[in-house]
Amino acid sequence: MTDEYQNEPLLHAKTNAGVFIVVFLMLFAFTTLSFWIANSHLMDNRIVGWAAMLAVSVAKALLVVLFFMHLWWERSWKYLLTIPALIMGALLVLLLVPDVGFRTETYSKERRSHAPIAESNVMDDGIPSSQ
Amino acid sequence: MNQPVSQSNDAQSAREGAVHGVHGHFQLKYQPAVPVPKGKLAVWLFLSTEIMFFTALIGTYIVLRFGAPQGSWPTPQQVGVIEWLGALNTFVLICSSVTIVFAMEFAKQGLASKAKWFLFGTFALGGMFLGIKAYEYNSKFEHGVYPQGPRSLLYDRADLDYLAGLKASVDAQILALEKGRTATASETGKIAAGEQSPARDSHSDNALERLTLIRSGLIQWTQKKVGQSGNPMMVELALKSLAYQIATMDKDERIETYLANEMVEVKSELAELQAEQQRVDQRVAGLQGEIEQRTSSKTDSSAEDADASDQAGLEAKIKSAADAAAESSRLNDLIVPLQARVDAMDEFTLVEDGINEHFHLRLPMVIPSGNTWANTYFLLTGFHAIHVFGGLVAFMILMTLRLDAACAGLLENVGLYWHFVDIVWIFLFPLLYLF
Repeated sequence: MTDEYQNEPLLHAKTNAGVFIVVFLMLFAFTTLSFWIANSHLMDNRIVGWAAMLAVSVAKALLVVLFFMHLWWERSWKYLLTIPALIMGALLVLLLVPDVGFRTETYSKERRSHAPIAESNVMDDGIPSSQ
Repeated sequence: MNQPVSQSNDAQSAREGAVHGVHGHFQLKYQPAVPVPKGKLAVWLFLSTEIMFFTALIGTYIVLRFGAPQGSWPTPQQVGVIEWLGALNTFVLICSSVTIVFAMEFAKQGLASKAKWFLFGTFALGGMFLGIKAYEYNSKFEHGVYPQGPRSLLYDRADLDYLAGLKASVDAQILALEKGRTATASETGKIAAGEQSPARDSHSDNALERLTLIRSGLIQWTQKKVGQSGNPMMVELALKSLAYQIATMDKDERIETYLANEMVEVKSELAELQAEQQRVDQRVAGLQGEIEQRTSSKTDSSAEDADASDQAGLEAKIKSAADAAAESSRLNDLIVPLQARVDAMDEFTLVEDGINEHFHLRLPMVIPSGNTWANTYFLLTGFHAIHVFGGLVAFMILMTLRLDAACAGLLENVGLYWHFVDIVWIFLFPLLYLF
């Protein structure tokens, strides 16, 4: 195993302790940021607030992947193993959007009356309801 | 064998020949297709399947959550999710990611004991994460939030199904308490000392009294309302206000006004009925006094002949006294449920967050999409927790080794997996705790 690691660019690079500490502090700051967003005016329009929190999460995940998981220093094989997997996962999720994401839009009156929410409350919040 | 090896026929033998070095002119050398160690490539392949798995799982939750109209998905507060505990767990996992990175760095530099300490730190932080998670799960279970099945106390809507479920639950709890009381009574009878039993008895008496009041003043009242009213709006309001009193999710002006108006009506009706009953009772008492007087005077002067009209008058009085008594008991039948309603409202109206939370009862409650929420919550956090547990097992195995430069590759592979587990939590935290 030691032999294999002679070819590792990572092993020849200098120790990245400073980078790791900075990344750690940024992760901490981002966690605080998403906590702040949850209690801020961004949540007045909850879709905006949620999108902002997810964007913060994506940023945190990128920091971890690039630096803690060393992908920043890896060669281009990293794209082969991450991008297609992400596309496959994202496609599966996107396929759910018409049926599951917009499920309340296609509720019949009958279905709506048995949904876990009163009809009067479905109207607000910018989510259109049928009729 | 001097002719060139054709790929179709002799590829196999050629490869074997190269490996065994039989044919001198085929000197094949293994070239890795990807410039990374095999173990790391394997871990990354595994992680790419994990990326697909968790992207689909988390993405599905996001689609479900974004598609749920306001009020049709429980807020974190409603299902007892504590934001700062989630934030703490996020911090714990971030710290553990840093410690394993440093464990690997120290291993690369050959500082085995330092590496081991940092690995142990990672292990401890992972354990802490699972401990906090277990505490959170336990508090969910205490509130009757289960993924599904008979233990779950969650109902989607305040409907007749909910009313039946609530009634069944209260009946069962009352029965259990009564059984327990007779059991302790017979026990204390046998022991006859019973110094500490009064406290326990009064506690269970309180609980029994409260449950009985909930049954008569809330459940049976609502049943009656639902049965009598032909107006679906009123039925809905009666059921909703019952669910509201059991577990108050958000302050609802409409329901509170309804309850207040109803209370005014019930109180005035009760006062009327009580006044009427009092009048009837007075009449009964008056008639009985007269009857007694007559009969006693009759026995006194039994020698004198009681004339027939007198006898008829007495009989009429007895009959009207019996009628009045019957009227009084009929009035009483009307008064009892009203009185129970008033008592229950006096006892429970000003309770914050609902009866369930305030008295630590385990009654079925209405949380819109509560079951869907519980399913997804336990599915997401459960899969994540299983991954954390897998990481802890890997750390334990690693800690038995000497963590020097030879071990750095292994440590990196386990670290890659651990960072991925951290990334999953980075997404779960806002989704489950802040949305």
